Amino acid sequence: MFRLQGSKVLAVDMTGDAVKAKNGSMVAYDGQMAFKKMSGGGEGIRGMVTRRITGEQMTVMEVSGHGTCWFADRASEINLVSLQGDKLYVESSNLLATDAGLRTGTSFTGLRGASQGNGLFTTTVEGHGQAAIMSDGPAVVLRVSRQYPLTVDPGAYIAHQGNLSQSFQSGVTFRTFMGEGGGEAFQIRFEGDGLVYVQPSERNTIAGDV
Amino acid sequence: MSHYPGAGPTVYDPMTLPSDDNVNNYTFCVELKGSQWFLQKGKMIAYYGQMDFNGIGHGRLDGLVRTSFHSPLHASDWVVAQGSGKMLLADRAFDVNSYDLEEGNLTIRSGNLLAFQPSLALKQSIVPGFLTLIGTGKFVAASNGPVVFMEPPIRVDPQALVGWADCPSPCHHYDHGYMAGLMGGLRAMTGLGGASGEEHQFEFVGAGTVLLQSTEVLMAEQATGVVPSEPGVPGGYGAPAGQPQQPGVPRLPGQLGDLQRRFGL
Amino acid sequence: MPFREINSKMVEATVMPGQRLFSQRGAMLAYKGEVSFTPNIQGGQGGVMSMIGRRVANEDTPLMTVEGSGSVLFGHGGHHVTVVNLTGDTLFVEADRLLAFEGTLQQGTMFMGSQGGVMGMVRGQISGQGLFTTTLKGHGSVAVMAHGGVFEVPITPQRPVHVDPQAYVAHYGDVRNKLSTALGWRDMVGRGSGEAFQLELSGNGVVFVQASEEKL
Repeated sequence: MFRLQGSKVLAVDMTGDAVKAKNGSMVAYDGQMAFKKMSGGGEGIRGMVTRRITGEQMTVMEVSGHGTCWFADRASEINLVSLQGDKLYVESSNLLATDAGLRTGTSFTGLRGASQGNGLFTTTVEGHGQAAIMSDGPAVVLRVSRQYPLTVDPGAYIAHQGNLSQSFQSGVTFRTFMGEGGGEAFQIRFEGDGLVYVQPSERNTIAGDV
Repeated sequence: MSHYPGAGPTVYDPMTLPSDDNVNNYTFCVELKGSQWFLQKGKMIAYYGQMDFNGIGHGRLDGLVRTSFHSPLHASDWVVAQGSGKMLLADRAFDVNSYDLEEGNLTIRSGNLLAFQPSLALKQSIVPGFLTLIGTGKFVAASNGPVVFMEPPIRVDPQALVGWADCPSPCHHYDHGYMAGLMGGLRAMTGLGGASGEEHQFEFVGAGTVLLQSTEVLMAEQATGVVPSEPGVPGGYGAPAGQPQQPGVPRLPGQLGDLQRRFGL
Repeated sequence: MPFREINSKMVEATVMPGQRLFSQRGAMLAYKGEVSFTPNIQGGQGGVMSMIGRRVANEDTPLMTVEGSGSVLFGHGGHHVTVVNLTGDTLFVEADRLLAFEGTLQQGTMFMGSQGGVMGMVRGQISGQGLFTTTLKGHGSVAVMAHGGVFEVPITPQRPVHVDPQAYVAHYGDVRNKLSTALGWRDMVGRGSGEAFQLELSGNGVVFVQASEEKL
């Protein structure tokens, strides 16, 4: 059972069940807990071990026991997402915890990942249960529908769910007063039907800024 | 339309997003209806609708820039958004707030200003590192923690100062106990004893409002541009941005020279 | 109460003649009235005080004594600030998390290891937080800083609480502390790693935990 303790701490009440969480994100617990490092093995080829361009990997632990376990990561804001059979796409560095029953995998995100400097693979979470995703500042959840497509800065994107297609949009030109070329900035355009999570902050991207 | 229960407390769409108001403490929504806003580059996080973002210097905008923008080098950090739709602004998860000016003036640390309506004129303050907005209209600014409004007389740590409205310019205040006396002399001679870290403040007197934030972590540097190298113009050394003040000028900790350097001025 | 929480990152303190406050160096944001900020050289309550001071800035930079008549705004580094009011209890807090506190409180230091034996001594080293924890005792208020705000976890005899030493902020009450390690935890983080232990607090009281594993 996931619940928020304030906006930056995830409390999970456990009665013998388990939760998967970002390694090292446990800040406190009461009761009895056992910790297990998860390798990619039982989780499909890649599992939650996310490949990043940097070669860095995010590791995951499984926590099980009786009591309450509190998770937090660098004072990030935490957003709860409940999944009912649909799929959540989330930047791997933004995934804090999931119910042990949810399937996690990776999906190839191609250009967006590349332009974001954030890895070519995005984590996917599927099934029925709860996930906790992190954002720098509270996330704003924006609905995309047929009549309202949405354009997002790649650095502010953290996750999406639903039936969405994404495309790249450039054409944002900067020409400065001095006549210097300002380069182009990429944006991601989402169309279809679903939800997009954006954070009030921008990671550094190589896509340029608007 | 599918429904996603538990997907956060609120799901926004273009109809439910506020117009020219905060979505939460950290995100501000601007509605464009064929109108224009000046934005600092990198602060737009998402938008619905049709919008163009053009660098200042785009030919069509010359007229606009002439009336609203008076900070030449600074211009490269700004874009003009125009079109129709709703756009979200945010800045590194700092608190953001909008301020309405009515035939008024407000001076703000350059790194804290995110966006403003072209009905306001943006000018460089004679206090280096600060910008002054004059006229009637709305602007959006960021701060580390909510902005606290105080009335003069007050003395403020330079790094906690966000800006001020209607006040005469701040002056420097030095703690007398630090500057003079046995302790000060001892410190100066031996370097022992340390400093309280609070020897120097900005002092405001008179009528007006002072805006404070909670931090010594300053917002990112944002050059305001150099001012003409003329006698009588503060900061007008013609030095390129990022250069510290001339070496050899004795300076107390926290004096403006340090501030300038911190802001890359 | 001398400390009023203005927002999550700022407190206002009222200073009156004869009532001194102590604050971390550089934590003053603004003040009104006639208030003086004096670095403590040997100040406060003697040797102990200067020890706290030294730890606050990780070097020979002491706390400040705040005296006079007026009001002062305190905040530091954009960190969240929590005010703890003590009514006779002893607060255990890492010195570098002290933003400001009332002069009425009696200051001391304690070996976190004194209850946990050798392990306790290890704790200071492994979390990089030194061997000493500051104690503040008596009646008065303390403004404590934390990265991302704190939450309180009650400690009851039936339910000891385990805290990541990096996320531990402070505790009070009739509480015993020792280092322990959970099942599987050491295998996970690797032996010999400083992360291999958790601070186990048992008894009756409250522990403050921050929403981050980053120390200040």
